[in-house]
Amino acid sequence: MDPQTYQSTGEMLRNLLTLAWLLPLAGFVLEVFAGYWSHRLSRAAAYSAVFCIAAGFVCSFAALMYWGHQTHWSALESHASPADHHDVLKYFSGTYYTLAEFGKLRIAIDYHIDSLTLVMFTMVTLIATMIHIFAIGYMSDELTEHYEDHQVHTAHGHFHRPGRFYMFFAYLSLFSFSMLGLVLAGNVFQVFVFWELVGVCSYFLIGFYFERKSASTAANKAFIMNRVGDFGFLIGLMILWTWFGTFQFNERVESDANGRDVVMPGLFDMLRDDHGNVTVLPANDHDSYARVFLADPGHSGALKHEGHKEGKTMPYFLLVVAGLGIFAGCVGKSAQFPLQTWLPDAMEGPTPVSALVHSATMVAAGVYLAGRFYPMFLPEVLLTIAYVGCITLFMAATIAVVATDIKRVLAYSTISQLGYMMLGIGVGGWTAGLFHLITHAFFKSLMFLCSGSVIHGCHHEQEMPKMGGLIRKMPITAYTMLVGVIAICGLAIPGISIFGIKIAFSGYHSKDAIIATAMTFSQLNGSHFLLFVVPLLGAGITAFYMFRLWFYTFIGQPRDHHVYDHAHESPVVMWAPLIVLSFFAAFVAFKGEAGSLFKLLLDTEPASVAHGLHDVGLAGDLNFPSHVGIEENHKAAGLYALLVAVMGTTLAYLFYGARVLNPAEVKRQFAGVHNFLVEKWQFDILYDAAFVRPVHVIAKWFVAFDRNVLDGFLHATARTAVSIATLDRRFDETVVDGLVNLVGNVTYDAGRSLRYVQTGRLRQYVMFIVLGVVGIWIVMRLFAA
Amino acid sequence: MSNEFLLSAIIFLPTVGALVLSIMDGGAEKALRKIGYFTTAATFALTLVLLAEFDSSVSGMQMEVKAEWIKNWNVNYQLGVDGISLTLVLLTGLVCFLAMLASDSIKKDIKGYLILFLLLETGMLGVFLSLDFFLFYVFWEVMLLPMYFLIGIWGGPRREYAAMKFFLYTLVGSVLMLIALLMFYFGSATTTSPGSFDLLHLARIGQGKVPGLVFSETLQMTAFVLLFIGFAIKVPVVPFHTWLPDAHVEAPTPISMILAGVLLKMGGYGILRIAFPICPQGAQWASYVLVFLGVLSIIYGAFAAMAQTDFKRLVAYSSVSHMGYVLLGIAVWKLSEGKTVGAEYWKMGMNGAMFQMLAHGISSAGMFFMVGVIYDRVHHRDVNKFGGLMGLMPLYGGLAVGIFFAGLGLPGLCGFIGEVFTVLSAWNYHPIMAIISASGVILTAGYILWTIQRVFLGPEYKGPHPEAITPILPREAFIGFVLLGFAILLGVYPESMFGLMRESINQLVNDLVKVDMSSLAGVNTLLKR
Repeated sequence: MDPQTYQSTGEMLRNLLTLAWLLPLAGFVLEVFAGYWSHRLSRAAAYSAVFCIAAGFVCSFAALMYWGHQTHWSALESHASPADHHDVLKYFSGTYYTLAEFGKLRIAIDYHIDSLTLVMFTMVTLIATMIHIFAIGYMSDELTEHYEDHQVHTAHGHFHRPGRFYMFFAYLSLFSFSMLGLVLAGNVFQVFVFWELVGVCSYFLIGFYFERKSASTAANKAFIMNRVGDFGFLIGLMILWTWFGTFQFNERVESDANGRDVVMPGLFDMLRDDHGNVTVLPANDHDSYARVFLADPGHSGALKHEGHKEGKTMPYFLLVVAGLGIFAGCVGKSAQFPLQTWLPDAMEGPTPVSALVHSATMVAAGVYLAGRFYPMFLPEVLLTIAYVGCITLFMAATIAVVATDIKRVLAYSTISQLGYMMLGIGVGGWTAGLFHLITHAFFKSLMFLCSGSVIHGCHHEQEMPKMGGLIRKMPITAYTMLVGVIAICGLAIPGISIFGIKIAFSGYHSKDAIIATAMTFSQLNGSHFLLFVVPLLGAGITAFYMFRLWFYTFIGQPRDHHVYDHAHESPVVMWAPLIVLSFFAAFVAFKGEAGSLFKLLLDTEPASVAHGLHDVGLAGDLNFPSHVGIEENHKAAGLYALLVAVMGTTLAYLFYGARVLNPAEVKRQFAGVHNFLVEKWQFDILYDAAFVRPVHVIAKWFVAFDRNVLDGFLHATARTAVSIATLDRRFDETVVDGLVNLVGNVTYDAGRSLRYVQTGRLRQYVMFIVLGVVGIWIVMRLFAA
Repeated sequence: MSNEFLLSAIIFLPTVGALVLSIMDGGAEKALRKIGYFTTAATFALTLVLLAEFDSSVSGMQMEVKAEWIKNWNVNYQLGVDGISLTLVLLTGLVCFLAMLASDSIKKDIKGYLILFLLLETGMLGVFLSLDFFLFYVFWEVMLLPMYFLIGIWGGPRREYAAMKFFLYTLVGSVLMLIALLMFYFGSATTTSPGSFDLLHLARIGQGKVPGLVFSETLQMTAFVLLFIGFAIKVPVVPFHTWLPDAHVEAPTPISMILAGVLLKMGGYGILRIAFPICPQGAQWASYVLVFLGVLSIIYGAFAAMAQTDFKRLVAYSSVSHMGYVLLGIAVWKLSEGKTVGAEYWKMGMNGAMFQMLAHGISSAGMFFMVGVIYDRVHHRDVNKFGGLMGLMPLYGGLAVGIFFAGLGLPGLCGFIGEVFTVLSAWNYHPIMAIISASGVILTAGYILWTIQRVFLGPEYKGPHPEAITPILPREAFIGFVLLGFAILLGVYPESMFGLMRESINQLVNDLVKVDMSSLAGVNTLLKR
């Protein structure tokens, strides 16, 4: 691609994606104001929201097609890894406007478009459109002046309020805008901005039924837990900002005011060379820290810098801390261990929200960022990511086994699947992790919408022990759900293939990719075998709890006839999106790693991934698998995973489908374990005791300090001043005034007594004069001597 | 209007309004209020004229005015505006106008109230525009008295206590400032010329640019400590802050808006305009303490806010927390072996601090106003006895939540930029301090969300006078929309403010960086151990 085509392509892509990004914002403004001042029965807000996001999808898809056309779909053809050709830049980036500039430091609103951006845009807008449409049906009970909230009890019975149909769609639009902004962001600061914005949208949507105490508490919890992660994010940003002086992902050339080309440095290009390698300078006599080399692109003067580069160094451990900090943000957003507890509570929000925000898009943003920021992660950070994902996927899967609320099962399943993605990225399976992100988005949003359809059909009943046999009442929901369940479990028909294509749904391919990578990783690093064993085990648990959910809800005899009798299939506006999503859940990963989705993602894979890494890390004992290495294990890993999944499925069938085994019996046998799981591994209790209550206690201390010490000091000073003043007055009145009075009195008395000397007799006066003269003479004599 | 006249016109227009009011009949309430609206609106319009006339590419003072005032002491009537003062003048004009609109709830002796209000505005504008230390001091005191009466007469039940506390605290600050002022005056005298009150001249001496005239290191340190305490009381910085919650709780709503929106900024402004430029060595010497106090204020204020049940007291403590970022941003001047390290990060901190002052001016005025709206209806402020306001007053609830989120530091709203820029600049100075200050984001989210939950969410209102809860009035909604609008503008396009003040702040930093700190290095290394 020549420079001119490159530029025009970039502009076209920017325009399309900007339109897709900003349309929902316009929709939000329109919906929130027009909705407030129009009547409650209007569906106009929903149509506006659907239009905006659907138009956004059209733009995104057009952008993807245009990009493919301009690049001649080279991403799909080449089997070579992206590191092998350098003549063409893989990304298009630029600036919308500058937020602030201080000398060389600059923070701006940028865009960064590559195949990952395009795939994410298309996925988000497509799923969002489906969910928006679904929500028209699901939220229709809000189209009233007197909405009765059955979960809120006041002194006068159930709580009544005007419907908030328009607000729901306004929030959804605002969310879509924020989410797309996050994906489009060209620098990590901007990611942080939209990161918080999706967070606040999530807050509003979780707390949509804000009259419910449980909903508002869950909303607070979600926001604050996310802020804990963002605290880490902020620390990461501080380190990067101080040492790199930029937030931009990749470098690019811009013309300055004089028309000269200026290289805007990028984080990735400063840290890594063309082959994706980091230069580590080990600790020596002068320097007790190992350091990493940072190139200064200002000296190279061109985008591709070859050979020796000018630059500086920074401590290795600080870059590790920065990576862990950014990852802490991902942990919060993607509900990973140890910040996972907010996501299940977030199910307080309406089900379309759970589908869009809390499974398909926002919570996956953590994984997206971990992928986007992959080049900044040193091996130690990657290992941490892998272990966090590993712990999360296991823990959440075990809790999902005992959960009885249909949405909570799905919530824990989401956490667990996000754990898989993190694990995949952590063990060096960059494309595998993001591949799973996309496939998961489709099947999980599908399953959430199905559960929404069930809840809607059962008049807001969410407890699975009250369901059963619903397949007869709502067949479309049941079968589309089955597609989702099969997809997430990774079931496939082994050995048989039609025209060389495996008969398997999307989840099989993506989970397979992760497990194959994990297997290769554990072969290369023997001590980290858990990173393979746990996800493999997790695949079995996943199959078990997902089929448990499906059998529980749809199969067998109804458990509660009241619920069953009133259940009904949802209207077409709700089941049509299910059909569309189930199509994608089944076929989005068509042909697996030879398919177009995987290839598209592979196009953006960082250069360091393809060939693997050997003996890296500060201790020099970590190895990351190469594509070739993973390919060798692919068959075996796929077989293991399938085997385990089938076992899980069978077990679920025996317990809940055929009802041959009695789950209550098992529950009794393992009461302790069961309790521990129902209590969600006791994290809520722990956090309440360890953080929430201490914070309130400290807050009370500070106030008491203000009251007693600072103000006490002030008041004591004031009192002292007053008492000194009082003392002063008394001193004045007794001592000073007393002295003055004394002098006056003495003088007066002396005068009075001297009065008697004034006799008027001349002889006596002469005698006084003589005595006086003699006296003076004596005194003078004395002094003279 | 010629530019020489413009600054004086801005300062004294409110006084003219006050004079007009003083000859009017105290019973003609409507006419009095109209004069009040008109005067503040016209003053705000004049500040906008100033904005139009201002050249943001110039770093130094513009539209300078200098006239002899008291010849014997070399006191001049000297005014001028640069990027630092311009933005604060704009903020003052805006907040005063909105506070005047919010004054409808004041019923008692409206004439006296309006006169004092306008005199207060003159005092504040004078502080921001004067370039003569003596004049600055006079305006500083001019502003103090109306505030005392506004709290002491129109305040709540404990108004005398609060007014007295405010007055005494501020007076202590003034006295310390007066001492520093005299130190500079006599220190700047030479055999041929008398001492000077000219802030620009004093700054040149302090930065060692005037041949043969220096402020010694000891003088700079002493004067800096005096000035800093004086200004820190105003900011307020922990531990000089306890006047603030009481003053806010007792002050009527519009006065709280001015107090939080503008008055606190005078402390930060004083540090930037007087303490740092004139005593660079003192500032550098004390920078560790300053940063520490800034971080302490952030955390302390946030914790204290969390434990409050009085709505206004809660917002007052949030001010303490937010103003901590200002001090942090100003003070991140890192010195190593006599040379400044990472001057660009300091510039960022300074700019961020200034931005934080503006952002806090918008968001805190908004928060106090929102508290006032509900207080006017139900006459109590117990956070635990609200609830359900979002359902009962949806427009009010929406505006209030928007403004509270601006205070929380949500991206896209004004609070975020100031906070995050100062915090980002702090790592260069001291990583531990930076980390502690960053932890403020969790606490802030905690107390603001908890407050929102207790006040606005939930099914029903739990306090007294439920019948008095009526939808927000158009006038109130207007104030809310204007403040929220500015919060969004500043949050989405911060360059609108940075562009105005950047040159001036960068010039200040560049000047200070050039000051010879070689003799100070020893002191600093001692402190670091």
